[in-house]
Amino acid sequence: MDVNLSELLAALPEDDPASATNAEWVQERLREILADLTERPVPAGSLHRLWTLSELSGQIALAYLALWVRGWFAGAEVSQRRLMETNLRVALKIFHRLSYLRGAMTKLGQAAGNLPRLLPDQVTATLDRLHFDAPPMHYPLIREVVRNEFGKGPEELFLSFEKEAFAAASLGQVHRARLNSGETVAVKIQYPGIARTIDADFRNLTALLLPLRLGKDWDSVKAQFEEIRRMLNQEVDYLQEAESQRLAGELFRSEDGIMVPRVYPEYSGKRVLTTEYVQGLHLTDYLATNPTQASRNAFGTKIYRAWLRMYYAFMTYGDPHPGNYLFLSDGRLGLIDFGCVQHYGPEERELVRLAEKMAYEDRSVIPEVVRHACGVTAHDPDLGHYVRIMEESLDWMMEPVSQPGPFDFGNETHFQRGLDWFQGVVRSRHTRSHPMYVYWNRSIFGFKAMLYRLRAQIDVHQLLREERPGGWTG
Amino acid sequence: MRITAEAKSATRKRILEAATSLFVSEGWQNTTTRGIAQAAGIATGTLFNYFPTKEAIAASLLADALEQAGEEFRSGRNPENSLEADIFALIWCGLRRLRDFRKFLAPAADTIFSPLARPSPDSPGDAIRVDHLELVQSVITSHGLPASLPAVTVQLYWTLYLGVFAWWAADDSPGQEDTLALLDQSLKLFVASLGIDQGREKNGRQSE
Ligand SMILES: Nc1ncnc2c1ncn2[C@@H]1O[C@H](COP(=O)(O)OP(=O)(O)OP(=O)(O)O)[C@@H](O)[C@H]1O
Repeated sequence: MDVNLSELLAALPEDDPASATNAEWVQERLREILADLTERPVPAGSLHRLWTLSELSGQIALAYLALWVRGWFAGAEVSQRRLMETNLRVALKIFHRLSYLRGAMTKLGQAAGNLPRLLPDQVTATLDRLHFDAPPMHYPLIREVVRNEFGKGPEELFLSFEKEAFAAASLGQVHRARLNSGETVAVKIQYPGIARTIDADFRNLTALLLPLRLGKDWDSVKAQFEEIRRMLNQEVDYLQEAESQRLAGELFRSEDGIMVPRVYPEYSGKRVLTTEYVQGLHLTDYLATNPTQASRNAFGTKIYRAWLRMYYAFMTYGDPHPGNYLFLSDGRLGLIDFGCVQHYGPEERELVRLAEKMAYEDRSVIPEVVRHACGVTAHDPDLGHYVRIMEESLDWMMEPVSQPGPFDFGNETHFQRGLDWFQGVVRSRHTRSHPMYVYWNRSIFGFKAMLYRLRAQIDVHQLLREERPGGWTG
Repeated sequence: MRITAEAKSATRKRILEAATSLFVSEGWQNTTTRGIAQAAGIATGTLFNYFPTKEAIAASLLADALEQAGEEFRSGRNPENSLEADIFALIWCGLRRLRDFRKFLAPAADTIFSPLARPSPDSPGDAIRVDHLELVQSVITSHGLPASLPAVTVQLYWTLYLGVFAWWAADDSPGQEDTLALLDQSLKLFVASLGIDQGREKNGRQSE
């Protein structure tokens, strides 16, 4: 841990004298959690990776265990009891870290780690370490989760089922199996009990943030957290993921060279998702094959096209990280993981239309965009700042479009400029924005990072001509 | 009058059945030994020849179910399972068999497994403990660990087992998924305390 508790506390915004008085317990709670974070040993081995912030029911279970043990040793000799108690304390300490209701909080850590603009930098850095790793599940546990979902174990449900997972998912793991009809499928199985903790953890988190005195930004932060909570709940419900995957799948034709694995609803439920198995390479493995520039360009173009196609169908592919793209040997791009897809309602669609107007037709609508997207009105003293932020963002976004010919996304300066802009926003704390942008930003940076690592050169104009509803005339 | 062993076991069975349905319908607190005797069609005095207390009846139900679970586990055991997976399967077999008894087992277990009761060879709870620990020991040795574990390790196991049991008895989460997770985490802790590396890679984690 490279920051200590006092530094973390010092990094928080100043207390609001009004709210400081009524929120002592929250402060205390925050202090405890941060203390726990700072004391945490450097993660080593899977056991240590499984730890958690305190959770009430976990605490009760612990107290209960301690009570039992003390009881058992009521008649024992003092020395024996001491030995036992020492042992127990050590055990409980590990158990505390292992505590089984840890899911959402760490998931949130991951989300917030990707969203530095919400929190002071140091806290974000700390949260960033919480990248969640669901503990691996052995087959007897897998069997019970599947049985809970379908009333049958994997042996009865599938023609065959590989007991060893072939990939890890953020909240579980993925197994290969065969359906009775012969298809090879990927079965994603979620670790039990995680999903139901999200709301409670968010209540705790909101309570924690209350005394941070976020002032006029508070409403915006609250709305953004609410959006994260909503999206996390969506992400842990594999039925919703299945629906998003189905909707996204309908957007692509075989000539696009983009494939979305088909969902098997009869074999899918809230905690189990069964999809067509896709044989392909992840980014790193693909790059290790020394692909030609032409191949990288073609894949990059497909990644860009997939993003645009979904965006203009009013969906954000919210989590475009390398694990979610598969590079197939026949040149097709496989898109997986639709847990984190934002579906735009009327309000968001209106924002998309306005942003399109700003980007391609009329820059003078910037103040109007700022008003709708950031809730900053004409009389707000911060208006100037927000307009500037929006202009910079627009320049960066449009850089690939404003230049003639194909754009080289491997260009370091372009990518760096985006990151600098983002950090500037965080530093200056101009973080008010419509909740839809929480995932939109993550999406933009995720897919640009993919293109950057691919060093893809893409004819953006051609893409826009084909994908943009109004085409492109430049 | 001589009572054959067969008749005896038939009576015993009748008592257990009557008790089960009363525990389930009336609840643990509201069921009396007199009520059980009545439902089984025997005199209360006769019932005491079989079971001295209602705790003893519940313990007997528990012991029977766990014994069957032990057999189910042995016959369905997968030789490729890790130690952790084996113990998990063993415990879950038992809990699944007891699922219908859950509501009354919670208060019953309070007395049967009372932490304040001194371990005594003739308490029914103690017999369950001894049998279960023996089975677990044999599973552990079958994975190549020493035949006799330190007392503290055994105690840690039993403590975790009871904690899981208590949690399970009151767990209303769908499919009792919270118990699944608690059991999983508890066994990770226990296996870690044995100081062996079970080769977690066996579970096939593969990073991108
Ligand atoms: N249909 C599939 N065909 C082939 N591999 C798959 C398929 N579905 C999932 N996988 C593999 O499993 C991994 C995790 O799946 P997925 O991304 O859906 O899980 P997740 O829980 O959403 O993970 P994360 O949040 O980390 O992206 C993928 O990176 C991929 O390697």
